[in-house]
Amino acid sequence: MLADNVSRRTFLKGSAALSTLLGLGAIGSKATNGLVPTAAAKSNSQKQQFFNACPRNCYDTCSIVTTVEDGRITFVTGNENNHYTKGRLCVKGNTYPRIVYSPDRIKYPMRQKGRGSGNWERISWDEAYTIIAKKMLDIKKEYGNTLPICLNKYSGNFNILNYATEGMLSSIGFTTRAQGTPCDPAGSDAQAFDMGTAYNNDPEQFMDAEYIILWGANPAWTSAHSMYFIEQAKEKGTKLVVIDPLITQTASKADEYIQIKPSTDGALALGMIRYIMDQHLYDEEWVNNHAIGFHEFVSYVKKNITVEWAAEKTGVPKPVIERIAREYATSKPANIWIGFGMQRHTNGGSMVRAIDALAALTSNIGKKGGGVNYIGGETWGFNYHTMSFGAPEGTEGEADRYVNMNNFGAQVLDAQDPPIKMMWIACRNPIAQDPEPNVVKKAFDQMDLIVTADLYMNQTVEYSDIVLPVTTPFETVGINVSYWHYWMNANEQAIKPLYETKSDLEIAMGLSKKLNELEAGSCTFPVSGNLVEWVEKEFNDDIRKLFGVKSWDELRKNGGTVKASEKVTVAWEDLKFRTPSGKYEFFSKKAVEYGHHPLPVFIEEYKANNEYPIRCISPHWKLGIHSQFQHIDWLGAIQDHPFVEMHPDLAKKYSIRENDMVNVRNEAGYLTLPAKLTKTVPVDTVVMYEGWWKDVHYTENFNVKALPSDMGDYSKGQRGIAFHDNFVKIEKA
Amino acid sequence: MAKKLGFLVNIERCIGCHACEISCKSFYQLEPSMRRRTVRELPEDLVGSPVRAFVSTACNHCDEPACQKACPVGAYTKRDEDGIVVHNQELCIGCQMCGKACPYGVPQYNPVKKKMDKCSMCYDRLDVGESPICVSKCPMEAIEIVDYNEVQPSGTVSLVPTFADPSITHPTTQFILPKPGKQFRRA
Repeated sequence: MLADNVSRRTFLKGSAALSTLLGLGAIGSKATNGLVPTAAAKSNSQKQQFFNACPRNCYDTCSIVTTVEDGRITFVTGNENNHYTKGRLCVKGNTYPRIVYSPDRIKYPMRQKGRGSGNWERISWDEAYTIIAKKMLDIKKEYGNTLPICLNKYSGNFNILNYATEGMLSSIGFTTRAQGTPCDPAGSDAQAFDMGTAYNNDPEQFMDAEYIILWGANPAWTSAHSMYFIEQAKEKGTKLVVIDPLITQTASKADEYIQIKPSTDGALALGMIRYIMDQHLYDEEWVNNHAIGFHEFVSYVKKNITVEWAAEKTGVPKPVIERIAREYATSKPANIWIGFGMQRHTNGGSMVRAIDALAALTSNIGKKGGGVNYIGGETWGFNYHTMSFGAPEGTEGEADRYVNMNNFGAQVLDAQDPPIKMMWIACRNPIAQDPEPNVVKKAFDQMDLIVTADLYMNQTVEYSDIVLPVTTPFETVGINVSYWHYWMNANEQAIKPLYETKSDLEIAMGLSKKLNELEAGSCTFPVSGNLVEWVEKEFNDDIRKLFGVKSWDELRKNGGTVKASEKVTVAWEDLKFRTPSGKYEFFSKKAVEYGHHPLPVFIEEYKANNEYPIRCISPHWKLGIHSQFQHIDWLGAIQDHPFVEMHPDLAKKYSIRENDMVNVRNEAGYLTLPAKLTKTVPVDTVVMYEGWWKDVHYTENFNVKALPSDMGDYSKGQRGIAFHDNFVKIEKA
Repeated sequence: MAKKLGFLVNIERCIGCHACEISCKSFYQLEPSMRRRTVRELPEDLVGSPVRAFVSTACNHCDEPACQKACPVGAYTKRDEDGIVVHNQELCIGCQMCGKACPYGVPQYNPVKKKMDKCSMCYDRLDVGESPICVSKCPMEAIEIVDYNEVQPSGTVSLVPTFADPSITHPTTQFILPKPGKQFRRA
C-alpha cells in the first residue's frame, strides 16, 4: 500500500512537516533483555539471537527475536522490547522457521521452457542476469527507450531496502509501472480530502478509549496484537461495538454486534449524524474553529438524511442507530477503526468520508484514545536511497509510464507506442491477487520475457520464464515500519542465505553489473555494496529525531526496536490539518477536483442483478496474508483447502449440505469448492477467503471483475477495486 | 502441599488463531503433521447467537491418566510435586495404546521417531520459572497455568462441547466460557 511513488512522496512531505515539532526520544535507557546478538555474550555458546522484522503487508509489522543454533534457526518469536508485539507473534509469524526451511523454497535461478509447462531447468545467476540484461538492452535498441519493460511490484515484502527493485529499473531509463494499490485507496483518498492525509492514532491507545467502534475491521484475524489491546480495554469496561456484514471472529467478541447491509455504512454514519445534529450532541466549538463547510454539511444532512431512511437503507433498526449515535457522541474519547474491507466498494471512499464526519463533529479527532483510525504513514520518511540513482545520461523520454495495478491485465494489453514486451514481478503474485486473472494471463502471453523473483512456486511463477530465488527476512538485512503502529524494527541477517537465494537489492546490484558489462553506462545502479551500509543510508535527520536513534546499528544493538516520539502518536493532536484550508474539510474543493461531491454524501451502492443475485465477499483469512503463508504445511495441517461459507437457509434453497461441492459462478466463469454452512454470514451473501493453498487450483479473485471503487486517484494515482461488489450465482456441483 | 497444575483456557479471550499450536510446534520442532496443542471449532450457537468460537486444548494432565494405565512399558509418570503427566520417549515402544486409551486423543504418533509424543506442560520451563510456550505466546493471553490446589477460580467449567466427559480421567483443564454479546442481525 505504500509502494507507489505518489504516496511515498506524500509520506516524505508529511514527515518533513512534522520534523520541526519533534523532540528526541530516550533510547539510551532501553533494556536489551540480554538479546544483544553476536557470540560476544557467551564465547563458547553456539546459540545466538538476532532481531528480525516481519515485513509483510500487515498492520502489526512485528519485531522478531530469532534463535539460531549452529547456523540454523531453531525458534522465532516476538520481541518483548516492542510493546506492541509484546513478545508474541500471530499464527503466521510462528511459522517462520518452516517458511525458511520449507522443502518448497525455490533454491536456484531457473528457466522454464514453455510458460506453465512446469519444464524448469536450473541456470546460474550469471546466465539469468545475461538473459535478462540482453533482453533489456535489445528492447532499448529496438524501441529507443525502456518503456516496454513493465514492473509489477507491491506488498509482499515492505523492507525499505526492497525498493531496490524500483530503483534498479529507474536506473536503466524510463519504464512502465503498475501503479496504485488494491488495498486502501478509496479510504485513503477520503481521509486525504477530509484531513489532508490518512493518519491514525497509535493502536496501543485502544486502552485509553471509552468506546470503540470497529467498522468493517476484523483485527482478530488481521491484527492480533491490536485485538489484544481491544480485548483488554473491553475487560476494563470499554464498550466494543462491531459493525460488519459478517459475524467475524472480531464481531464474535463484541459487546454489541450490528449487522449491516454491505456497502451501506455511509448511510449508517449519516443517520447517526442526523440524530446527533437533531439532539445537539455535536461539538459546536470544534466544528466552528477547526473545520470548514460544516453549515453546508448540515444543510445536506437535514435535507437528505433521516434516521428512518438510514434504518431502511442499512437494515439496522432506528432505535439501535439512535442509541449507538448517542453512546458514541457522549463517550470521550470514542475510537473508530475503519477496516479496509469496508471501502472495497464502488461507494467506499464516500462512506469513509461520512464516518470521518461523524468523528469530526463529535470532536473525537485529535484526541488520545479517540480518532477515526484507518491507516497512517508518519514513520515512513526514509531516504529511499535505493531509488535515488536516476536514468543513465542520454536517456530518451521524460517519465515512467503507469498502468493501473487494479486493472493490470487489460491495461498491459492496451498499452501501445511502445507495447509492453517484458515484465518484472517482485513481492507480488498478480495471477492470484489481481481481479480477472485470466486477463492477466493473456497479458502475460504477450510478453517476450517474464521474470519473477519469489520464494515459492506460486501461480505467477508458474507462468513466468525465469524465476529468481529470493531471501526470507532472516537471510538479509533491513529496516521496517508499520502503517498502523509507531515502532521501527531492525532486521539483522540471522543466517546465511539458503541455497542460491539473494535479496531484491542484491539482485539489483547483480543485474546492474551485468548490464554495465554488456553496455557500459547502461545502468546507474551500484554494482556492489555491503547490505549494512545500504541500510544505514536509509537514515536521515528526520528519522533520527522521530525515533531518537542515530543509526541502524544503534537500533539493533539496543533492543532491535524503537517507538516514535509521542508527539506523533495522537493523530491531528494540534488540529493543524494538511488540507488546503488547514482545517478539517466537511466541504472539500479537492474532492470536486477529483470528480466527487464536495460533501460526505451517500452514493448509492452497487446492486446485484437478477442473474447473479448473491454477493460474494472475499476477505482476508486467518492463516494467511493474501497469497502468503497458507501454503506452508504447518498451516495446511490446520486447513488444507479453501471453502465457501453460506447461511444454512441459502444452502437449503439449493439443496446444498455441509461439505457439498458448490459451483460459484458469474460472467467470468466458476469455481468449485466445498460449502461450510454457518449463520455467521447473512443469507444473501457467500464468503470465500483469500489464499494460495498448496496444490489447489484456486484464487478467490477468479470471478472478481476489475470494478473500480470511487476514490484513490488523488493519493495513490489510481482508484481501488470494489472487491466486495462481486455478485454470483451458486449451484450444487 | 503438592501442587495440582492445570491449564485454564479462556474461551472468551480466544480468537481461534492457532498461535498456541504453531508456537508449540515451532519451539519443539515437531513434524509438520503433529500437534501437542489443538484448536477446535466450537458449535456456533454455543452462547445462543451465532459466533465464531474455538477451544484450545493440549494434554489435560489428568488426575487419573488413561495413558498411564494403558502404557505397557511404564513410559508415563505423573509428577508428585505438581501432577504433570510426563511421557518418557526413551522408554516408549510406539505401540500407540496410550493414544487409543486417552479420551481426548492426546498422545500422537511421531512417524519419524516411531514413538508417541505429547504435551509436557513444558515442565522443564516451569521448573526454571518460565511459562509454557503456549501460555507465553498466546497473543490474547488466553491460556494460563493454575495450581488448582491453591485457587479455584470462579466461573470456570470443566466441560465444553467437543471435550470428553471429565468423569473418566478427571482432567485438570478448566475453561472460561464466552459471554454472549448483543447482536442485531438482519432479518
